Amino acid sequence: MLSFCQWLQATAFFTDLRGSGIIYPSILSLHMVAIAFFGMMILVTDLRLLGVGLKSYPVAELLGRLRVPKYFGFALIVTCGVLLFGAKAEEYYYNIFFRFKLIILLLILIHGAVFRPSVYRNGAALDASGLTGQAKLAATLSLVLWVSMAICGRGIGYIEPNLFKLHARATQTGTADTSRLQAAALRVPVLGAGVIR
Amino acid sequence: MLIQAAVENVLNASALIFPALECFHIIGFALLIGSIVIVDFRLLGVGLTREQPSALTKTMFPWTLAGLVLIFFSGPLMYSTDPDMYYLNWSFLIKMACLLVALVFHFTIHRTSVNRWAAEGAAKGVAYTSLVLWASVVFGGIFIGFVSQGL
Repeated sequence: MLSFCQWLQATAFFTDLRGSGIIYPSILSLHMVAIAFFGMMILVTDLRLLGVGLKSYPVAELLGRLRVPKYFGFALIVTCGVLLFGAKAEEYYYNIFFRFKLIILLLILIHGAVFRPSVYRNGAALDASGLTGQAKLAATLSLVLWVSMAICGRGIGYIEPNLFKLHARATQTGTADTSRLQAAALRVPVLGAGVIR
Repeated sequence: MLIQAAVENVLNASALIFPALECFHIIGFALLIGSIVIVDFRLLGVGLTREQPSALTKTMFPWTLAGLVLIFFSGPLMYSTDPDMYYLNWSFLIKMACLLVALVFHFTIHRTSVNRWAAEGAAKGVAYTSLVLWASVVFGGIFIGFVSQGL
């Protein structure tokens, strides 16, 4: 996995992306814009499933109308995320917050699959029978998962794995392909970019 | 004087305070912008189109307000941890200008066109303007970290 990350960020595309003064932060900005534009749709859905807000909308209609925009937003966020990861793949590999974030992403996908039949594709029944415990559980878990996602995302910027040290250690113990590490070391990105101070 | 103020600022006492403020800031702008953008999407005929835009704005208003409270709580505190850096940062200055324009636009033209249910073309123009203004605030905020010059 580590060597895949090293290979990925050493590709011409991601090397250029990492070195670009404007494109990299623009992708990060787009990532954040997409969160701002589409994150609220998740909250709105959760509030409705908890019975707290937007009661004028039947659950089925709310889920149906927001489904496509939410998928679009998710795709945009993930696309930007993949590009950001690729540009600094090796750093991200070592970054504990990035690992947490991937785990949360996995949990979010599982959450969607688990509650799909009983909640997210079951709006009409929820309107007829009232909000079930399942629906409220789904909404609560969704809130917890997405807030954790945001916190881990911000955490990523605060960890700067010392790649020089890690490369030196790998070279000493003979566990690394030295030529690849040297190539990677030459392309070590500007560490800490994205941390506001 | 500003440097001295930053050094004495209790917010700089722990390395965890600033990232925590940033998390509040992110959740705050997601609420603020998200609750406005849902209405913009409504004006464009996407998403929650059941209600009139004015009713949707009313439903969303508590969240707009919550977002405003969070960003105006966390933002100035973040600024106070390193005022010189922000003051000299062109991206920060652009962000503040965009924020001011976006807020004024929101509480004047946006509000009026939503309440009076303006002609479809005009409403769409207002929605696109709102989307661009808020996106530019986010871009300005992110670029602060990339153009900052150490003192």
